[in-house]
Amino acid sequence: MVPEWIDIAVRSIFFVVVLFLITKLLGKKQISELSFFEYATGISIGNIGAEVAIGLERNIFHGIIGIVIFAAIPFLSGLLSLKSKKFRDFVEGTGTVFIKDGKIMEDNLKKERYTLDELLQLLRKKDVYQVADVEFAELEPTGDLSVMLKKENQPLTAKDLNLTVASIKEPQSVIMDGVIMDEPLATIGRSRAWLHTELEKLGVTVENVFLGQINSYGELTVDLFDDQLQVASPQERPLILSTLKKCQADLELFALGTKSKEAKQMYSKSSEKLQEAIDKVMPILKG
Amino acid sequence: MTVGSDVKQCLASLKGVEASLSSLAIRTQDNESKKTLHETMMVVNEIVTGLKKRVGELEREEFQYKGF
Repeated sequence: MVPEWIDIAVRSIFFVVVLFLITKLLGKKQISELSFFEYATGISIGNIGAEVAIGLERNIFHGIIGIVIFAAIPFLSGLLSLKSKKFRDFVEGTGTVFIKDGKIMEDNLKKERYTLDELLQLLRKKDVYQVADVEFAELEPTGDLSVMLKKENQPLTAKDLNLTVASIKEPQSVIMDGVIMDEPLATIGRSRAWLHTELEKLGVTVENVFLGQINSYGELTVDLFDDQLQVASPQERPLILSTLKKCQADLELFALGTKSKEAKQMYSKSSEKLQEAIDKVMPILKG
Repeated sequence: MTVGSDVKQCLASLKGVEASLSSLAIRTQDNESKKTLHETMMVVNEIVTGLKKRVGELEREEFQYKGF
């Protein structure tokens, strides 16, 4: 007979592996526990695992059957939910509207057994202190409150201000812990040699870089291990903008200065065209 | 200093900007920004062409400043 403690150790390791595989199989949805169903099955799977790992009188095989069934049903119901909206509403639940058109729906609050204090608490979690600011709020099946503020209370966006902003792509992290990451570097079509040149321009070595990122414009920004060192921020775009502005002003000056009518026309037309181009490219070069 | 050298200086700056814009356009990941940068480059290129012509005229007028 093996000593009990060895049995427990073996069972524990075994069930850790089983639980790991099961959670991998069920995926992110199970972990985020979007519905009460997933929440309950998640707990049950964990409990069965723990019970069988410690309870020596239990049969390991029985434990596995239990875990597999508890994992399979949410898995299958997930597949079914993809197909049928009705099934989805039944299993995952639907939201309950708490505030509509800026008015609290008392009946719905009662139906979900939420008190006004709890509603206010949920609103505060969303940084809303005054119910009058809210246009619409819905209690999600997970118990979170989703809040849509009235338009005048929503944060100001570039669109509201009629501002043109340059669209950007996500930055890539190309150096981590002093090691060059080849995959993100390849994603943006850069080579190691290019990166070394950029680092040389900044006057740092790869080993000293804790994090290096390349932004949408191909500019490298770094965070160094040595926080005392100062690194220059990319200056190319502001420099282009200021040179463009200077040239535009120069052209205007030439237009004023010249006596030749033809040249005057050429200068002023050029300066106008350049001004137009500057206005268009400004959002890119400024940011 | 004369107008001629001023214009030449401006021409040189614009040529520099044209090159910078071109390289920035190539490096930029976002297609929309790439297009805008490229268009700006084209405008600058047009102006550079016009200025070059003017520099030629100025050189004929002030002969001692020839050198482009």
